[in-house]
Amino acid sequence: MADPMHQFQISKIVELPTVTVPGLGAIDLSITNSVAAMMSAALLVIGFYAVAARRAVVPGRLQSVGEMLYGLVDGLAESIIGHDGKKYLPFIFTLFAFVLFMNMQGMFLVFTATSQLAVTLTLGLMVILTVVAVGFAKNGLKFFKLFAPSGVPPVLYILLVPIEILSFLIRPITLGLRLFGNMLGGHVVLKIFAGFVIALGGLGILGWAGAALALTSVVALTALEFMVAFLQAFVFAVLACVYINDVVHLDSH
Amino acid sequence: MATEHHGTTETTEAPQGHEGGGGLPQLQFEHWGGQIVWLLLIFAVLYVVLSKGLLPRVSGAIDERGAKIAGDIADARRMKDEAEAQARAAAAEVAEARAKAQKTAADAKAKAAAEAAERQAKEEAVLAEKLAAAEASIQTARDQALSQVRVVAEDTASAIVEKLTGKAASAAELKSALA
Repeated sequence: MADPMHQFQISKIVELPTVTVPGLGAIDLSITNSVAAMMSAALLVIGFYAVAARRAVVPGRLQSVGEMLYGLVDGLAESIIGHDGKKYLPFIFTLFAFVLFMNMQGMFLVFTATSQLAVTLTLGLMVILTVVAVGFAKNGLKFFKLFAPSGVPPVLYILLVPIEILSFLIRPITLGLRLFGNMLGGHVVLKIFAGFVIALGGLGILGWAGAALALTSVVALTALEFMVAFLQAFVFAVLACVYINDVVHLDSH
Repeated sequence: MATEHHGTTETTEAPQGHEGGGGLPQLQFEHWGGQIVWLLLIFAVLYVVLSKGLLPRVSGAIDERGAKIAGDIADARRMKDEAEAQARAAAAEVAEARAKAQKTAADAKAKAAAEAAERQAKEEAVLAEKLAAAEASIQTARDQALSQVRVVAEDTASAIVEKLTGKAASAAELKSALA
């Protein structure tokens, strides 16, 4: 049986020189399978929207899907952030489309970029750094009010402020780990059940029954994983909206 | 979770785990730097292309379609109103024409009826005149006949008296007897 973790192994495709950044150490800029997957996902997004943004009054299939996804994120930003949502829509949509295409690409190809902790944590950090930047740009030093919600007895601040700070700091990690865990778990389970089909198939009649059962599970799990791939991209976009909304509407917090 | 599965296959897959030694391949930190740098780069490019180039076109297409649909609906509504106004005007014209026709018909009928009544009255007057003349002539004829009856009765009575009595009755006697 193949190692179910082998699919996550980083391997180099194109060797590029290692750059040493002072304070960070050596960074290997080689194009790995992970980098290639990200590139192709980004190219797919661009290619897809180059076709989908044809501006036909009566849309074709691709244009319909493209506009539906755009409308989905647009509605999301509008409903969570409100009127200001339009300003952050490109960022949220880029996140959504990029994560969605990386997830979906993983359902068809061998490598899933979003099953790399480095990738998902960086995406989570990007969201939080954007939130911090927007928060300071919009509110200045009042940004720190985020950690001291109004309408609470002052005594509770002793307890509340550290909890709020902690929950804010933990956001990029939960964002990254949620996506990472879903992708990792799904692909590992798929691999293991697919391995059962081969392993049990060699054990005679009884084994065939087990293999058929395992194969059925793989088919069902694949459908489930398609849903998870979409849902996790959606959840990522929703949470990005929620976090941005927190700092955009700090006064009503 | 994943490491348990890995443990069962570690012996066969030992050459694969050349780095990290049995942990998650995702935790081989020597690959993190490259992935992060490339991710930031790719994301930045994707963001610029989408936000500057493609998304405005998508939202433009959506807005355009909305405007076109709204415009078409407004046009259709306007045309419907126009058509309704025309239908109303046509209905009013028809009603007017019908009223006129009915009036003309009623006039003609009344005129014909009046003429007929006049003619009938004239006819009746002629007939009544003739009737009256006929009745008058009958009356004179009867009067004449009646007066002759008296003469005949007088003659007959005088003749009968003469035969029975042998002498003629006087005219005064005859007259009182016949009265």
